[in-house]
Amino acid sequence: MASGSGDSAGGRGESTEVNSKWLDAHYDPMANIHTFSACLALADLHGDGEYKLVVGDLGPNGRQPRLKVLKGPSVLTESPLPALPSAAAAFLMEPHEPRTPALALASGPCVYVYKNLRPYFKFSLPPLPPNPLEQDLWNQAKEDRIDPLTLKEMLEGIREKAEVPLSSQSLRFLHLELGEMEAFVAQHKTQPIRRQTVITTMTILKKNLADEDAVSCLVLGTENRELLVLDPEAFTVLTKMNLPSVPVFLEASGQFDVEFWLTAACRDGNIYILRRDCKRPKYCIELSAQPVGLVRIHKTLVVGSTQDMLHSFTHKGKKLWTVPMPAPILTMSLLEQRSRGLQAVMAGLANGEMRIYRDKALLNIIRTPDAVTSLCFGRYGREDNTLIMTTRGGGLVIKILKRTAVFGEGAGEAGPPPAQALRLNVPRKTRLYVDQTLREREAGTAMHRAFQMDLYLLRLRAARAYVQALESSLNPVSATLREPLKLHAVVQGLGPTFKLTLHLQNTSAVRPAMGLLVSCLYNESLYALPRAFFKVPMLVPGLSYPLETFVECLSDKGISDVIKVLVLREGQSAPLLSAHINMPVSEGLVAA
Amino acid sequence: MAEEKAPTTTQFPGTIEPQKPRLKKAPEFPILEKQNWLIHLHYIRKDYAACKALIKEQLQETQGLCEYAIYVQALMYRLEGNIQESLELFQSCAVLNPQNADNLKQVARSLFLLGKHKAAIEVYNEAAKLNQKDWEICHNLGVCYMYLKHFNKAKDQLHSALQLNRHDLTYIMLGKIHLLEGELEKAIDIYKKAVEFSPENTELLTTLGLLYLQLGIYQKAFEHLGNALTFDPTNYKAILAAGSMMQTHGDFDVALTKYRVMAYSVPESPPLWNNIGMCFFGKKKYVAAISCLKRANYLAPFDWKILYNLGLVHLTMQQYASAFHFLSAAINFQPKMGELYMLLAIALTNLDDSENASRAYAEAVALDQSNPLVNLNYAVLLYNQGEKKKALAQYQEMEKKVTLLKGSSSLDFDPEMVEMAQKMGAALQVGEALVWTKPVKDLKSRHRTTSANKSSNLQQPLGSNQALGQAMSSAAGFGKTTQLPAGAGGASQFSKPPSLPLEPEADPAEAISSEVQEQRETQKSSLAPE
Repeated sequence: MASGSGDSAGGRGESTEVNSKWLDAHYDPMANIHTFSACLALADLHGDGEYKLVVGDLGPNGRQPRLKVLKGPSVLTESPLPALPSAAAAFLMEPHEPRTPALALASGPCVYVYKNLRPYFKFSLPPLPPNPLEQDLWNQAKEDRIDPLTLKEMLEGIREKAEVPLSSQSLRFLHLELGEMEAFVAQHKTQPIRRQTVITTMTILKKNLADEDAVSCLVLGTENRELLVLDPEAFTVLTKMNLPSVPVFLEASGQFDVEFWLTAACRDGNIYILRRDCKRPKYCIELSAQPVGLVRIHKTLVVGSTQDMLHSFTHKGKKLWTVPMPAPILTMSLLEQRSRGLQAVMAGLANGEMRIYRDKALLNIIRTPDAVTSLCFGRYGREDNTLIMTTRGGGLVIKILKRTAVFGEGAGEAGPPPAQALRLNVPRKTRLYVDQTLREREAGTAMHRAFQMDLYLLRLRAARAYVQALESSLNPVSATLREPLKLHAVVQGLGPTFKLTLHLQNTSAVRPAMGLLVSCLYNESLYALPRAFFKVPMLVPGLSYPLETFVECLSDKGISDVIKVLVLREGQSAPLLSAHINMPVSEGLVAA
Repeated sequence: MAEEKAPTTTQFPGTIEPQKPRLKKAPEFPILEKQNWLIHLHYIRKDYAACKALIKEQLQETQGLCEYAIYVQALMYRLEGNIQESLELFQSCAVLNPQNADNLKQVARSLFLLGKHKAAIEVYNEAAKLNQKDWEICHNLGVCYMYLKHFNKAKDQLHSALQLNRHDLTYIMLGKIHLLEGELEKAIDIYKKAVEFSPENTELLTTLGLLYLQLGIYQKAFEHLGNALTFDPTNYKAILAAGSMMQTHGDFDVALTKYRVMAYSVPESPPLWNNIGMCFFGKKKYVAAISCLKRANYLAPFDWKILYNLGLVHLTMQQYASAFHFLSAAINFQPKMGELYMLLAIALTNLDDSENASRAYAEAVALDQSNPLVNLNYAVLLYNQGEKKKALAQYQEMEKKVTLLKGSSSLDFDPEMVEMAQKMGAALQVGEALVWTKPVKDLKSRHRTTSANKSSNLQQPLGSNQALGQAMSSAAGFGKTTQLPAGAGGASQFSKPPSLPLEPEADPAEAISSEVQEQRETQKSSLAPE
């Protein structure tokens, strides 16, 4: 836990560089806080002017959900939660004194409201209406008027067509094996059909005054694609709006009784903007990527997307600008410095940077020892401009914005990229090269002629060798069209015994080759072949015939020679084709 | 009956025993979607390990009924490249919830990635029945049709996607189709609209700039490329294209500064080193030019443009033997270009092989359509060989081409070429043709590299006509500045249109290097006096 370590104890050396604007108040890498920006809230919970940090903590691996309240660097209270918190918010419930805000924590299908850090009220989402057909079927099952198989078929039919989805009870039933059905029905038929949904996101919306500390309503986004606005005192649903997809992030502005805008970033990658008195979205922004954060500044929206971009839109959905980020965005939040009237967007990136942007301009970069996963800026303790960050490893970083600090634009990468100042890596040329150049200039013609002459000679020689090979059938592919054959030899082994495999292929389209002989010519003092002369079976066109023979190396001097393989036709002395096999040195004898 | 009715079980994910419900008295079922929000948060943060662990837990708890968990798992499979697995999971999502168009869209997307475009189209059509107004379906249908080469259907779908919602991607695809069909103007119109819609998209800006470049509308091309560089100063394509345009205008130092950015990020790009080499050539740093060009040649040994440039630089350096090799290699890769044969002829002339030189010239003249320089150089050679009649024929051919060029565009001819031609005309006793009256006016603006062509060999024995020979040797460098590439360079780009839209990566560089060579080629078309 973070307790004990005072302000001075934080790992000060960790975040350096651009920290002239920030005081490092606290850094605890072992604070064990795992949460999202939505589950952080700053509030004066006791009405004593000392702001506390409320954390809906998921716990390591999301297994120990807890509500933590931090005061300064230490944890004030900690209480277990029944389920993972999806959002936390502090809001004023009633206009009377003392104006201490209540704390709302959304978790599963419920909102838990705390006052003075004591449980005060639990609001549960109203259950969804079940499908009447499904209800009817289960009622029949209850009275045993329907057998499980028919029930299954009917439910199946409902699932495929109906607008209202089935309850989890029916869905589970549909997945049962035949034998299990009876027992399941017997056990569950008395249960009422229930459909419950969960809260995915929550924010607050002023009720009727624009003041800083005005009574606010809770706005909930649910898994069944609805937005609900709750009355702050009675916790009744004031209004309900539908979305085309499940909301992930929610922003609200305006006042509920006057005029308000709700902006919901949804799972289909779209952002929907709703206004008072309309049950459906008024504007839609299609991002073509998933949004990872949503911040509203006055009438502009700043959205981070999974394509590592910050996009800005007007509140009517018109695109304003786009800024690329150097790494994936993990979380985003609003920075509001009231004393200077500054509103900026903070974005925590996966490369351990926390960037602050005002419009397109990069104001500041804070480097953190670990990637920041949640961000919160506001009054903490008695300090107005405090930045609270939690990191991926569960660390907690608290920084205070210096009162003298002014964010100037252009702190980021303006101007030409740094690479422009680097020298070009032009390959150097040696003195020798220059000398040769000079020589070529002097004697270019002679060089050219000599070269051309040699080239002709080379070509001539190549042509002669080719003709000779053709004439003496020294080639591995037969030149005559009458006997189209291909020979290819492989030598295997280390010696002194080698295996010589000849792959002989008849390349003609239809005609089989018959009456062929293979003869090997070799130096008899070096090699011994048990089968130096043998007949070739009939060659079916297209197939490759491996013909194997063994070669024994007789010399132990580590020398090798060429073995000539000739393919002959019976009754003709001129070979059809031949191969020269360069035998490897017998390693067996050399080693011995 | 056990009285273990636990209303709180829904709350504790760890404590639920999903199996054996028959022993307990009808336990409440967990809400299937209860952790979807957390799965999604992990997913969008790209924390895939946490996401997978959560999905596994969730699927165990719900006995595989949680549609969204399967959906995200499939998305992650696809990101990892296991498209077949992702397809199967998306299909099981579609079984769990057949009403959801998203599931069908993803099935189709996976099919598309597997290259099964026809199957993808079918599934998309199925999805379109569930959700009429989805630009994504229209867009992807369009892309599928594009790959199946049903361009008209593709265009229809993409246009309807644009009507539903405008996206940069749709514009890009639509532009691509127009390019595939060879409709440059239409493609430009599309890209113009796209840039209007999203003025900061560097890809759109660069593509539009390159298209203008192809059409020879240099002002606009430069404007768009410049805009692209403002938004992204490290854009590879834009730097290369803008740099080549600067080179065309002789701003070698500015171009080099731009190239430095690229040399840092893409150090192994052949067109980049080609262009750097030609920058040095323009600055008369020939050794550096050869080094850079040789590096380019090392990186792309089969690129004839680089070989062309190498030949040109070696001609300038009077290394005719080397020039011959590079040029003949270039001709092996690109046997249809008159200028290459001309350069080869020049090299051969200087190597005292006038017989082959005139054969090369004959080939060059036969292949070339518009470059008067080819004919002029040939005329000079013929004249030097004493074949006045043939020389005269070539000279007249040249005049024809000049008049044609002047008619088609406001070309400026290189003064040296003009001078050379006039001398040639005088020597051939042709009446002083009026073809040159206009072009000379722009002389000053081209502080070009014509002096590079002092070239020819004073050491060689000049014929009896000493003065003429010398004048000729001063070379008819033909500094077609900005305009000529429109003709010749454009032609060389058009000659291989299929490579253009299919590989947009390689294309600009290609276009550019050809551009540069076009410009360069001018530099050293020295005449060989005999």
